[in-house]
Amino acid sequence: MPFVEKTPDTTSNPLTQFINNLGASQGRNTINAEDCLAQASEVSGLYIHIPFCFHKCHYCDFYSIVGDENQQTKFVERLVSEFAAVAPYITQPIETIFIGGGTPTLIEQNLLSKMLGAIATHFTLAQDYEWTIEANPETLTPDVSTRLAEGGINRVSIGAQSFDIDCLKTLERWHTPGSVAKSMQHVRNAGIENVNLDLIFGIPNQTMEVFRNDIKQTVDLSPEHISAYALTYEPNTPLYVREQRGDLQKIDEDLESRMFQETMTILEAHGYEQYEISNYAKPNRSCKHNLMYWNNKSWWPCGPAAAGHISGRRWRNVPKLSQYLTGFGLPSIEDVETLSENGQAGEALMLGLRLRDGIQSDRVDQLLQVKGGQWRRKVIEEHIQQGNLDFASSLRLTSKGLMVADSIIGDLLMDETSMVDTTMQDPNAKK
Amino acid sequence: MHIRNFSIIAHIDHGKSTLADRLLQATKAVTERESRDQLLDSMDLERERGITIKASAVTVHHTYNGEDYELNFIDTPGHVDFTYEVSRALTACEGALLVVDSTQGVEAQTLANAYLAIENNLDLIPVVNKIDLPSADPDKVAMEIEQLIGLPAEDCINCSAKTGEGIIELLDLICSRLPEPEPAKIKQTRALIFDSHYDEYRGVVVYFRIFDGSLKKGDRILMMGTGRTFTITELGRYTPTPTPTQEIGTSQVGYMVAAIKTLEDVRVGDTITLDTDPAGEPLSGYEEPKQMVFCDFYPASSDTGSKKTEFETLREAVEKLRLNDSSFTFEAQHSEALGFGFRCGFLGLLHMEIVQERLEREGGAEIIQTAPTVNYRIELTDDTTIDIHNPADLPDPTLIKHICEPIVRVEIICPDENIGDLMRLCETRRGIFKGQKFVSAGRQMLDYELPLAEIIYDFYDKLKSITRGYGTMDYEIIEFRADKLVKVGILVNGDPVEALSMICHRDKAVARTRIILLKLRKQIDRHQFEIALQAAIGGKIIARETVKSVRKNVTAKCYGGDITRKRKLLEKQKKGKRRMKAIGNVHIPQEAFLSILEQGD
Repeated sequence: MPFVEKTPDTTSNPLTQFINNLGASQGRNTINAEDCLAQASEVSGLYIHIPFCFHKCHYCDFYSIVGDENQQTKFVERLVSEFAAVAPYITQPIETIFIGGGTPTLIEQNLLSKMLGAIATHFTLAQDYEWTIEANPETLTPDVSTRLAEGGINRVSIGAQSFDIDCLKTLERWHTPGSVAKSMQHVRNAGIENVNLDLIFGIPNQTMEVFRNDIKQTVDLSPEHISAYALTYEPNTPLYVREQRGDLQKIDEDLESRMFQETMTILEAHGYEQYEISNYAKPNRSCKHNLMYWNNKSWWPCGPAAAGHISGRRWRNVPKLSQYLTGFGLPSIEDVETLSENGQAGEALMLGLRLRDGIQSDRVDQLLQVKGGQWRRKVIEEHIQQGNLDFASSLRLTSKGLMVADSIIGDLLMDETSMVDTTMQDPNAKK
Repeated sequence: MHIRNFSIIAHIDHGKSTLADRLLQATKAVTERESRDQLLDSMDLERERGITIKASAVTVHHTYNGEDYELNFIDTPGHVDFTYEVSRALTACEGALLVVDSTQGVEAQTLANAYLAIENNLDLIPVVNKIDLPSADPDKVAMEIEQLIGLPAEDCINCSAKTGEGIIELLDLICSRLPEPEPAKIKQTRALIFDSHYDEYRGVVVYFRIFDGSLKKGDRILMMGTGRTFTITELGRYTPTPTPTQEIGTSQVGYMVAAIKTLEDVRVGDTITLDTDPAGEPLSGYEEPKQMVFCDFYPASSDTGSKKTEFETLREAVEKLRLNDSSFTFEAQHSEALGFGFRCGFLGLLHMEIVQERLEREGGAEIIQTAPTVNYRIELTDDTTIDIHNPADLPDPTLIKHICEPIVRVEIICPDENIGDLMRLCETRRGIFKGQKFVSAGRQMLDYELPLAEIIYDFYDKLKSITRGYGTMDYEIIEFRADKLVKVGILVNGDPVEALSMICHRDKAVARTRIILLKLRKQIDRHQFEIALQAAIGGKIIARETVKSVRKNVTAKCYGGDITRKRKLLEKQKKGKRRMKAIGNVHIPQEAFLSILEQGD
């Protein structure tokens, strides 16, 4: 699962980094990974970013590169040193791990096993942990699948995207439609029973008929979990450029919205519950790791460009692989943002409303009482009147509101621009 | 000593400035080395556009038949937007050189200027210029001059300002053919102001021609039109460098400096007399400049953060320019769509263009310019009239008897083969055919009456494209005339958008508003509800477009690394929405207004 947005090369100079590494912390821009570590006891999830790909898919704006084996070896060693530095501070058992990329399963098999072993060695896993790895169908050979299972992985997320050869071509995905079923079989044979398939709809030239067939093929494979995303044109991706140049055309908004409706209807009829805007699961198969994001919980990031969050503070590791590789232990971090209580409330609403169950009403009351955030109550009431929100035991989007979730969430975000708390927080203060 | 006061009138690029320069050189007023090209045009802009905006006067001497002649060369603005200024400059002369390019022939502007000179009783010397060029056809051009202006072909003098051929002969002709100025009629002093400019160090410099009496340094003077008095601190003549002198006498031309702070204190056409012994009557012909074309200037910035300083820059530029050009007017304007700016009035289209360029070039202001409109004269039911240039100022319809618009007389000279297309163009612009005249083999002149509002958009560009650049036109405002003019309102979900209302002809209202509604439809984002865009005359809807409601606006993915970016994006959209203009509950981006209000189709 892609977690990390592409970021420009870091501009911090070596001196700044040196000072950061000494732990000097004056002003919010000098917060470093050690400062975050001080709160690591709140963490119960890990996100690990593997930046390697066969090549970059045209719609992908996540940080990744096509690396060679020598680089992979260095990378895994570097990553393991990061695990070693972080692990002592994470005092709770790890509930969820998500290894995303890139294409994590692209890593050479022995290195892959080494990495999984290091994770299991350094971190203490909870009894009913969920450990997911992202994979492309063509990488999931019987051998790789076995290594994943042996390493402790119990959930695989496969990027199927479409079963139509033309659609796959538009997305620059080079696997064959048939390879999805094969890879799933290998994963199941290896003993991993929890599988997600990723689907994309709204691909240029995709018709309703083609899309219905995509859903049918997906459902026929009976995965435990399905993620179905509308294609988005992220700036700085080849797809976006092609669209801007007029080489390809976005599909009609009405058709796309019908595809979305169709997805919800068909998947529900096949026993998949839509628990988030783009995510559907069989009973008790929701992705715990992703639920952690939407419930605004804390997690720790490992690997270049991986983003982390602890109690209202967000940051990311240095994104450039070469820079990441030169360090040892904790990497330098950037894009640190510490939100005010009011800002956190806005984010909590933004994330929580993505869930079909919404946000528990007592939690909503808490969020609406934060200093400077009371105005949201009126906005919520307006949207209830317009039929976009429903507020009983929980605050949730109606099926009408679901279609225009961004407009509603936008209205609930901060009124003023001062969402980011610019005052330095004492890095040693425990919450 | 003999005096000759004269101007040169010509179509753009027919060689007026080069000729002026050559004349100065021939009288030894300037050496070749001193001579910059085209000495009389002092502004970059004028030089680039080949037109003269500001008049000035140069005094030189020429010996003819052994006698000394003082030649006062009075420069005139080259375009009919400045008709009034041209006419004042011409009033200061007894004669004029009518210059025609021997490769181009008589053009629309040649005619307009010649008529103006004839109206002012000037003697004309037709000069056929550029005879050194291979494509020169001086005989044909001389025939055109005879045909259209009525000056005998054999009176034409051929010359080349470039090579100097015929220049001495022309100087001799100025002395022999142009009349001596008439002697003073009264004993009191009367001098005509024919131009002025603002000098940062000395204040306003006034150019004048004395008709009666004389002016001396230290004289206390009275401007008869404005009633202001000043004391002359410097008096002089351009030879062509400014040369101070103690006194300037009857029939002579010169400049003065008198601690005059703003151009508003000096009106072209006004009469200067002595405060101690004033003349009883001023010289005739004084008029207030009349602005006929209007448009708004706004600072070009979409960022509200720096808007204020951008506005200040624009304000300074406008105020500074106004010091140099008292014939454009401005008033602060606040558009709900575009913020703070200025509504400016101009003598005509070219004048508007020049002002805009000078604001950008000299004032460093980046400008958004709205499409130009004209001045309407509203006849009210109580038989009074008011002038308005903003549809928002229209009185209640029940009080309006007629809406009248300015009508111009347009003369077009073009190749024969374009006559049909040009007539069709004029028809679509509500033109009234007035006449058609033979110019010379292959060329004709068309004479039309057109509403000014119909030619301020793109008429000239169309004319140029139809004639592949060969056609020329000139126009003159003749009167206000009532027509089926209506106020058209634009409604967004039933709410009127005053910034977009306009006055237009009933028969064209539907076509014009359709274009506007289409532009709006493209620029307004889908909302959660359907938006009706309508055009209405009074209560009657004449056109409609619809912005469909949003079907789907939901981010597909929002995982750990997406959260900050996602939040910032939604906040940015929300901020953007706040910058938009809300009409009812519809948010309209500034670009939507711009696409409609800005100049263009």
